[in-house]
Amino acid sequence: MSEQILTEKNRVVRHGWIELAGHWTIALSGLLLLLSGMFELPMAARYKITAIPGFGWSGDFIISLYVHYVASVVFIAAAFFHLAYHGLLRDQGLLPRKGDLKASIDVVKSFFGFGEEPPFDKYLPEQRLAYLGTAVIIGVLVLTGLIKTYKNVYAPDLSHAVVFWATTLHNLFFVLFILVFVGHIGAILLKPNRPMVRGIFTGKVRLDYAQHRHPLWLSGIEPPTRPPEKRPEADILATATVSAPPAEVGVDAAGDPAEGTIETAKEK
Amino acid sequence: MEKKLNLNRRSFLKAAGAAAMVGTTGLLEIPKQAWAGEGKLATLIDLTKCNGCKDRERPACVSACKKIKAGRIPEPADPIPLPFPTNKIEDWSKKKEVFNRLTPYNLIFVQKAEADIGGQKKTVFIPRRCMHCDKPACATICPFAANHKFENGAVVIDQEVCFGGAKCKTVCPWEIPQRQSGVGVYLKVLPTLMGNGVMYKCDLCSDLLKENKTPACIEACPQKAMSIGPRKEILAKAEEIAKSIGGSLYGKEENDGTSTLYVSPVPFELLNASVKKGPGQPGLASVKRRMKGTDTIGKAVLAAPALGIAAGLAGAFAFISKRKDKSGKKEE
Repeated sequence: MSEQILTEKNRVVRHGWIELAGHWTIALSGLLLLLSGMFELPMAARYKITAIPGFGWSGDFIISLYVHYVASVVFIAAAFFHLAYHGLLRDQGLLPRKGDLKASIDVVKSFFGFGEEPPFDKYLPEQRLAYLGTAVIIGVLVLTGLIKTYKNVYAPDLSHAVVFWATTLHNLFFVLFILVFVGHIGAILLKPNRPMVRGIFTGKVRLDYAQHRHPLWLSGIEPPTRPPEKRPEADILATATVSAPPAEVGVDAAGDPAEGTIETAKEK
Repeated sequence: MEKKLNLNRRSFLKAAGAAAMVGTTGLLEIPKQAWAGEGKLATLIDLTKCNGCKDRERPACVSACKKIKAGRIPEPADPIPLPFPTNKIEDWSKKKEVFNRLTPYNLIFVQKAEADIGGQKKTVFIPRRCMHCDKPACATICPFAANHKFENGAVVIDQEVCFGGAKCKTVCPWEIPQRQSGVGVYLKVLPTLMGNGVMYKCDLCSDLLKENKTPACIEACPQKAMSIGPRKEILAKAEEIAKSIGGSLYGKEENDGTSTLYVSPVPFELLNASVKKGPGQPGLASVKRRMKGTDTIGKAVLAAPALGIAAGLAGAFAFISKRKDKSGKKEE
């Protein structure tokens, strides 16, 4: 998509604005769905959530339903946008590949000091598996949610078997969605994954991080284009980013290499 | 506090006379067992006929209901787990005989309204139970689908699935469902943290309907004040009676329609002002369906997949076209 190596800034563009907007739309509306979904259970008044400033509405099931519906419109539209947009463009980077399960186990082991991480493509194998799992969970939630909404709006006397199973699956997958959310947040708390956090906020990750962890991805990105007079130097750097081991770089207070330090390091 | 109804003696007599005439001409004689529990049903409660069974210890409909539902509620756990953090339970198991309000053990009761008609005191009796709404919020937003509206119009709570969270009672405009703590599936899950019993209300004797039988309360009424039948017929009859007696209907428009139609010679706002109201004793006010407001956004939810796909395809085609333009310029 808009992937691009920005050598001078020590950055790689990992996500375009469409991906960022899609992610955050799903994430924020999903969070609102989780919250309003919980408030559809008779718990807000019982557990005094209604007493929390700003949450007085949480005990009113009809207001919670309004919130749930509004969030659903955004969430479902974003999910189907994602399917249609990336489906048509054949973006398959997040789809699981053969061997991802074994590779994921190796990666998880490496987090705990057992073995080395293999070189990654743009996404980690467990990210691809998690994507599929999340897609299935979201798919079931959307489908059952649509059935429940149809029942609410048009057919209160819809077949009880259909309503019962739609409701039960919606509740079960609601719990799974919470687990996925917790797992997602848990994954970015792991030290090796932290540099990716920047990517989902700004669209860019550090080039040295990508060189170290995602060399397969970088090898597939078009080399950075430069003005004619700088081209020879840029080409050398781009080649280095793909094939060379991570350079020793200067770091800032947060442990992130300062922008442009790659070049400084190479000049040394 | 019961209020006196101010009805003109002449209009009351006219209404009562018309009702009697309608009754004798067979307008209310709905053939029993003609509905087989299929298709949309409705019940008609003719307040010109109900006399509250003054000659009995308690109304026949109440006794019949209690009898047929006896033993349905299992003995509550002893002690009943106290729900955290409220520590509030509702235990009617020691007060099973209460019949002047709705309880888990009393699914129908008879309200009384008094009217002063031309200086003469008149009393109107009103059997009350679940209205079996056409679009019942209690059923549609039950979080476990324990409460459901069936095709025949009956709204039924499955006591094996209900957790007793009382959401149905909260969203019911008449607060009909009543809770018995210490029974139900919640005892097997997290009894102190989730749920608080089972909600109970009239199920229109669904089991009897399936057997082509009449609900117990209707069958037992000595005045034949209640009847059940195909919805269209019942509605037509109710409207005809109301027209002929110059009376009014309750349940047709309330909460966007119900399967229970009351016909009264006395305006319902007056009855509402007179009846004793409180927990388990619903009023007769005109009520709006609160969930109606969510229907528009609900329709938007149903349209969201199409919206997302259209936007996604448009975005992808725009991207492809932009990419083509770029590659074309490069080639130039």
